[in-house]
Amino acid sequence: MIEAAGLSLVYSDHGREVYACKDVSLRIETSEFLGILGPSGSGKSSLLYLLSGLKDPSHGKVLYNGAPIHDLSDEERSQLRRREFGFVFQQPYLLGYMTALENVLSVAPDKADQLKDRAIDLLDALGLAEKADRLPHTLSGGERQRVCIARALVTDPKVIFADEPTAALDHKNGVNVMEILNRHRGNGALVMVTHDPSMLEHANRIVRIQDGELVVETG
Amino acid sequence: MRLLNPIAPTTFLVRNLGKTIPLVSVIILAVMLVQSIIALINSIPFSIRTIYRYTDAMLGVSPRGDTSQTPFLVKDLVENSPVPIDRAMFCRASATQVKSIVGKWPFVTIGLKPDDLQYYLKRQGSTKLEGRLPKVGAPEAVISRPVATNLQLKLGDVLMGPEVDGMYSPMEVKIVGIAETDRWVMVNDIDYQKANHFPPIDLAIICAKNRADQDKLDAWAQERVKGKRAQVFAYREVEKDAQTMFEILYQILNAVIAILTIVITLMVGMLMNIYQSQRLVEFGLLQAIGHTKRTLVKRVLSEACLVIIIGWILGLGAAQGLLRVLKRILMEPRAFALDLNDPLSFAYTVPIPICILVVSFATIMIRFKKFDPVAVVERRIV
Ligand SMILES: Nc1ncnc2c1ncn2[C@@H]1O[C@H](COP(=O)(O)OP(=O)(O)OP(=O)(O)O)[C@@H](O)[C@H]1O
Ligand SMILES: [Mg+2]
Repeated sequence: MIEAAGLSLVYSDHGREVYACKDVSLRIETSEFLGILGPSGSGKSSLLYLLSGLKDPSHGKVLYNGAPIHDLSDEERSQLRRREFGFVFQQPYLLGYMTALENVLSVAPDKADQLKDRAIDLLDALGLAEKADRLPHTLSGGERQRVCIARALVTDPKVIFADEPTAALDHKNGVNVMEILNRHRGNGALVMVTHDPSMLEHANRIVRIQDGELVVETG
Repeated sequence: MRLLNPIAPTTFLVRNLGKTIPLVSVIILAVMLVQSIIALINSIPFSIRTIYRYTDAMLGVSPRGDTSQTPFLVKDLVENSPVPIDRAMFCRASATQVKSIVGKWPFVTIGLKPDDLQYYLKRQGSTKLEGRLPKVGAPEAVISRPVATNLQLKLGDVLMGPEVDGMYSPMEVKIVGIAETDRWVMVNDIDYQKANHFPPIDLAIICAKNRADQDKLDAWAQERVKGKRAQVFAYREVEKDAQTMFEILYQILNAVIAILTIVITLMVGMLMNIYQSQRLVEFGLLQAIGHTKRTLVKRVLSEACLVIIIGWILGLGAAQGLLRVLKRILMEPRAFALDLNDPLSFAYTVPIPICILVVSFATIMIRFKKFDPVAVVERRIV
């Protein structure tokens, strides 16, 4: 489904080259849960941005269903992200002036009517049925993160990218969020980066990243 | 809450009234201020036109120095006129005054023979006379409704007299009639004028048969007497004076309004910029989850347009309200003229929305040009 070949991302730090990603090659299969483990600063987020087309690689390419995504225009890539991908970021960012339900539907405002029932079902499954009409500032951190998960799932995406979605949560809540993500992703692949191996209980495959390079692949 | 589209331009504005209202208010105030100032300033030349409008119904002719020349002058003009003449009348005027928002302005009481006086009132559009016409030789006068309002006089009051400031007459000239017309008129009997007012201000009034021809007659007469010992009074002169009188004032006003517009533009531009910086996370998030840059830019531009256009329209409305109140309590009691639909006052407000639009468009484009959603999602900024 997603195929990365020789991906590198280079930052120049006062003229010195810093590799956030170095020659990463990787395949993600349909419906697969891929865990990416690595310490802080190892390049996990960078890899995720490259795979999802949010950042352009310095070298290498990413194929999505066989087509290189970095050849697409900015516009086309945004549309690909909106139609095919779901995102959960490390911080539970929500639009402050929109209700939980509206935030969930903010990925696809053009299809809000069709997706409304699914959005309500998801919020229900995430234990937020009563809070669908609440504004984010009245929700707890964990509740906000669950709204973000509903937002990532509502369009039934082909691939869900999750960047340490449990980092802001305690262990129990973290495990809970992972359960929910895994249960509701349907046929979507889940690519999740974390530095906490205990969050990858359900992963089909785990890769490790160190200083921007993939080190071992465990099956 | 009703489900709203997060990327509809109205959503942010409606859900963030705390930000929308100050923005719109600044624009409303600016537009209101500019339109009101211009309309009020413009009311001065407009007043001049209104007060001296009566001269457009006639041509005034007076010989310089030698009044015995008047009949010959009139004969020459009437006989050679390019347009048919309805009536030529001799009269004697005396100086009076009316009030304006910028102090007292000269006016005249015109003394006429009884039948000329009747003709003159009709010529000035009088539809009805409250009271009666002055008796021959008597210290009596007829004024029109706006003059009565302006000087706050009623039937039986003294118009001119030995003690009346700026409107001297040896006897107390009482108002015996008020003519219903929107033109400004003061008339009395010519015999009273001749017996009491010196030095004589003698003039002739020549009226074209066709009202549409009056200006043509005026223009021709101006040429005809050029260089002779005579002068003509015509409405076209009033028009010209009203225009040129305020040229300098308008230049000053242009500078003031331009500065005001710049200040308001900067203020609103700054406010918009602050609000947009506060929304960087929102923009970054929306872009990261797949909304295109173009959608977001379009949305922010639409928001700016909405705020500016709503502010402008409400500002014009507020100005109408303010001017109406001013007109009611300040202008109408003295019959001062104020044009609520003065096109110039509307025109002067146009640069405000345009400047704000241009500045906000520029800042929005610059902001989005170098906008990186990853930086926002990664919290590397703010
Ligand atoms: N804009 C940038 N300029 C320079 N260096 C950068 C930039 N962004 C990231 N880096 C560097 O790239 C490396 C990888 O960063 P990345 O954010 O991918 O790490 P990470 O594995 O996600 O870390 P964490 O677990 O703390 O989120 C880091 O060493 C970081 O300093
Ligand atoms: Mg990271």
